[in-house]
Amino acid sequence: MALKIRNVQDFRSGLMFMILGAAFGLGALKYSMGSASRMGPGYFPTILGWLTVILGIVIFIEAFKIEKDRPTAPAWRPLLGVLGGVSAFAYLVDTGGLISAVIACVMLSAIGGPDFRLKESLISSAVLSVTVWAIFDLALGLPFRLFPWSY
Amino acid sequence: MELVHNLVLGFTVALSLQNLMYCFIGCFLGTVIGVLPGIGPVATIAMLLPITFNLPPVPALIMLAGIYYGASYGGSTTAILVNLPGESSSVVTCIDGYQMGRQGRAGPALAIAAIGSFFAGCIGTLLIGVFGPPLAEIAFKFGAPEYFSMMFLGLISAVVLAHGSLVKAVCMVLMGLLLGIVGTDVNSGVSRYAFGVSALSDGIGFVSVAMGMFGFGEIIANLEENEEMREVNTSNVSHLFPTWADLKMSWGPIMRATVIGTIFGILPGAHTVISSFTSYTYEKKMADDPSRFGHGAIEGVAGPEAANNAAAQTSFIPLLTLGIPTGATMALMIGAMTIQGIAPGPQVMTQRPDLFWGMIASMWVGNFMLVILNLPLIGMWVQFLKIPYRIFYPGIVLFCCIGAYSVNNSPAEVYLAAAFGFFGYFSDKWECEPGPLLLGFVLGPLMEENLRRAMLISRGDPIVFFTRPISLGMLIAAAMLLTVIVLPQLRKKKEEAIYESAD
Repeated sequence: MALKIRNVQDFRSGLMFMILGAAFGLGALKYSMGSASRMGPGYFPTILGWLTVILGIVIFIEAFKIEKDRPTAPAWRPLLGVLGGVSAFAYLVDTGGLISAVIACVMLSAIGGPDFRLKESLISSAVLSVTVWAIFDLALGLPFRLFPWSY
Repeated sequence: MELVHNLVLGFTVALSLQNLMYCFIGCFLGTVIGVLPGIGPVATIAMLLPITFNLPPVPALIMLAGIYYGASYGGSTTAILVNLPGESSSVVTCIDGYQMGRQGRAGPALAIAAIGSFFAGCIGTLLIGVFGPPLAEIAFKFGAPEYFSMMFLGLISAVVLAHGSLVKAVCMVLMGLLLGIVGTDVNSGVSRYAFGVSALSDGIGFVSVAMGMFGFGEIIANLEENEEMREVNTSNVSHLFPTWADLKMSWGPIMRATVIGTIFGILPGAHTVISSFTSYTYEKKMADDPSRFGHGAIEGVAGPEAANNAAAQTSFIPLLTLGIPTGATMALMIGAMTIQGIAPGPQVMTQRPDLFWGMIASMWVGNFMLVILNLPLIGMWVQFLKIPYRIFYPGIVLFCCIGAYSVNNSPAEVYLAAAFGFFGYFSDKWECEPGPLLLGFVLGPLMEENLRRAMLISRGDPIVFFTRPISLGMLIAAAMLLTVIVLPQLRKKKEEAIYESAD
């Protein structure tokens, strides 16, 4: 009997839980276990980590049992666009100033959308830059660095 | 008469000009974001949470309660006008609400939703006032074992009510618990899973998890669906007021739904979804002519909306008296309270009565504001609904980033939010729900702490959880819940109840 993956969702999530659980379980080796009455920092994560691994295995095995429709392929464009925009914001906000972070974030996340329109997105990043400046710098006076050459 | 005294205290706090203003801003912003299609209340609250950080605790929590109500009401508006439920509890509202809208009766549908919610909210507020103090008395007798068992019960109910696979939901809870304990261990001072990163040794920011998994996750999923905006029912929102006949028909359902909602709301883990669904099924069964349901029956809007709000209101009872969140939204509230330096629990009521009663009164005020402010403003919300998704979502992403950044003025939180967006997207794709993870995340440190204390008292003997009556009772309840859900017959029923409402 050849093993066939019948449920891709279960296969992958089972694998994910096994890996993440083991990562926490193995990571906990560095911390002292203590005893049941005086638990060390390693006690709780060790139990939880390996419990996750066991349940991950249960899910993984289920994947070979019941047939289920495959999940749709990951939508890489919105995923990378939006999360790229977020990361660009994180990178630029302290180094390149708030305005460049706003523009990068808005443009990248807009590119992630199904119908990206350059002109529209340029306008909205301009509008949002002014809005953000008005709210956070002018009105709330938060210590944001606006441009790379500010302070 | 203590009740009157307490409520008077609450209303003096909530009705001060400053707090009224914060409540209003909260309601307003909550509705603005909540009404945008494809952004649910959890995402809305996560997004707006950071603006309350710079406020003192009382106004911050009042504003947050306003945001909460605004977001839920905004969700109903979207459900009725666009047939796009922002959260699972407004799915039921969609069925008849959208149909009413198509018949040109969107106005009365929106009005009855607000009126029903308001009525249920009034009863809910009273109930918190009546049952809060005695419950807090009981909670004061709780020791570490009781707390641990109660959180265990809370997590089990969250798992039982999650969609789909039970095992996956348990795994998500475990992941949440594990992620929750990242950072410095309070007992030993050891920095766990921080890998020398200073941002991690303070623990993973609650906002990053919520924003990443709910905010970014939802936005990416919406973009993936790539659906054209559905038809918006804007034609006939002009006449707003329900007719006398509408009111007469809705009165009964609203009363019954309030009872249903309050009961489900108090139970730990019970969702607003279950209450609105139960109310809908009940009204449909009770109706003289059940065939009207699904074709714009006003009872089908009035009941579920009232039930949903009653449950939302009473779910504050376990939160405020025991410090136990009953779902993802309540987990957000706990996160917000913790950030304000308030440990949720029975001591809040005695140590900060102004805060406790002020927050309860402001819930009522927030509800009232929704009726008197949002109904006239419906025209404006309709305009919001017309904005195409592609225009507003980059702005939402941006404000999420600024929000996450402003928690600690550090880009680390923003990077973390991006990472959780990634994790949230894939776990959702593989049918693992983010809700239980968030609950586990909030409870993680608390559970570990109470487990340690309980085991220290009992000298390492786990029997302590079974010899103390309250703790035993909760564990029995948890075991019963699990058995009930594992039994095949009932399991099928649950799937029906949840899926029917989710599809």
